[in-house]
Amino acid sequence: MVAGLECFDASLMPHLGILLLGIAMMTPLGEALALPALRSKWKSLETLLGRTFAGLFLIMFSGFTVSAHTLWMHNKAQEMGGGSFCSAGAVCDCASVIGNSDWNTMPFIGLPWGLLGMLAFALFMWLIISIAKDPAASWVLTHLKIGTNFGILGIGIILYLMYAEYEIGKICQFCTTAHIAHVVATIGFFRLSSLYGSSEWAVANSGISGMDSSSRERRKRGGYVAPKISLMDKASEEE
Amino acid sequence: MQRRIISNEAGARSDAMMIVSVIFIAAFTYIALTTSPVYTGIGVGDRAPDLQGQVLIGNEWVDFNLADNIEPMWDEDGEDIGTWYLIEFMDTNCGHCINAARDDFPSAQANWLGEDAPRPTPDNINVEFLAVSISLWEDTTPGKEYGKEEIVEFRDTYGLNFGFMDSQDNSHQSGWGNLGTPSYFIVSPNGIIEYTNLETPELVWQEALENLVPRGDA
Repeated sequence: MVAGLECFDASLMPHLGILLLGIAMMTPLGEALALPALRSKWKSLETLLGRTFAGLFLIMFSGFTVSAHTLWMHNKAQEMGGGSFCSAGAVCDCASVIGNSDWNTMPFIGLPWGLLGMLAFALFMWLIISIAKDPAASWVLTHLKIGTNFGILGIGIILYLMYAEYEIGKICQFCTTAHIAHVVATIGFFRLSSLYGSSEWAVANSGISGMDSSSRERRKRGGYVAPKISLMDKASEEE
Repeated sequence: MQRRIISNEAGARSDAMMIVSVIFIAAFTYIALTTSPVYTGIGVGDRAPDLQGQVLIGNEWVDFNLADNIEPMWDEDGEDIGTWYLIEFMDTNCGHCINAARDDFPSAQANWLGEDAPRPTPDNINVEFLAVSISLWEDTTPGKEYGKEEIVEFRDTYGLNFGFMDSQDNSHQSGWGNLGTPSYFIVSPNGIIEYTNLETPELVWQEALENLVPRGDA
């Protein structure tokens, strides 16, 4: 079989589709992808920042789903004693990588890599959803720093896993998709960090809410309306 | 008032946490419901770890890999032949191993091994014994002898006719750990450990083997 074709796996397509959609959403193509129907539902898609959030969420979601898929494969491999669920190809062979007991779990901890991927992308999704929900919050910069630093740390782990694939002599296309999602997500965090504090961020911030200042203030207070104390009331309190 | 604003900001984070938790739990539930992984270990119900090395069969040392002799998808009701393994980790210098070789194994091998073994098994089931010779002591320990010649001599002294694996470099320890001797494991044809005296010392391996291996027509 041709090396390129054996790497094609139909079950990988949903993950790849979401990943590519996310990447496209972060490019100028994103403006065309954000259809009027979507914009009317999510106002934030009208801004560059909003589309970046949406794109990043899709990328992280695809990373999460493909990581979950590798964990599923790992468990199936354990269930079947090694199993062969991907084509046993010369180059692309998930069974040889995910089913390899020497490399398929984290050193010392012993947990499957797929689980680490799920946790990492869940953390990323939490960071990005919370920032998207309140871009003006005081902790946004902290979240961006956490995302960026974890992204860099993750790239180190990806290099280790690429070394494992090199040692095994096979490539797992599912793992590679998760690695790409991670790298793109890290780039996305860098991009958000550069946008933070810029006029684009401020414009997007006002655009995201789409509310007037009083209702925004009320929302911030969780519906609480402070009572107005008149001068007479103050005087009587003093007496 | 400052506290209220901060609480509202926390609302965005807790909302996000709720969303991510729902996604995570959904994925995990799906995985848990559609797979039932069997982990590799030396407990009952675990998949037997790797075990490979040179095995003395007759007068020759041949390469052996346990994984090549088990079939993970083996079905008791199917036609494919499966092999139950009794694996004994032993040391040629260990007194209890010598006692077992002298008192237990001659009768057990006569009962279980060979084409016309008295103990009947179904047509699709074989039974094999495998002794794995390991080193409890250093080579230099006075009075303790190691080497392939020792294994051959041990086997011949007690008239044993099953395979003896040379694992005196203790390479088995990466998967099986640092075992005492004698340690017994009964591994089913699909590679799952069904018995070990480490977990149920009150049940002797002869009885466990009798209970586990299905009985065929006599």
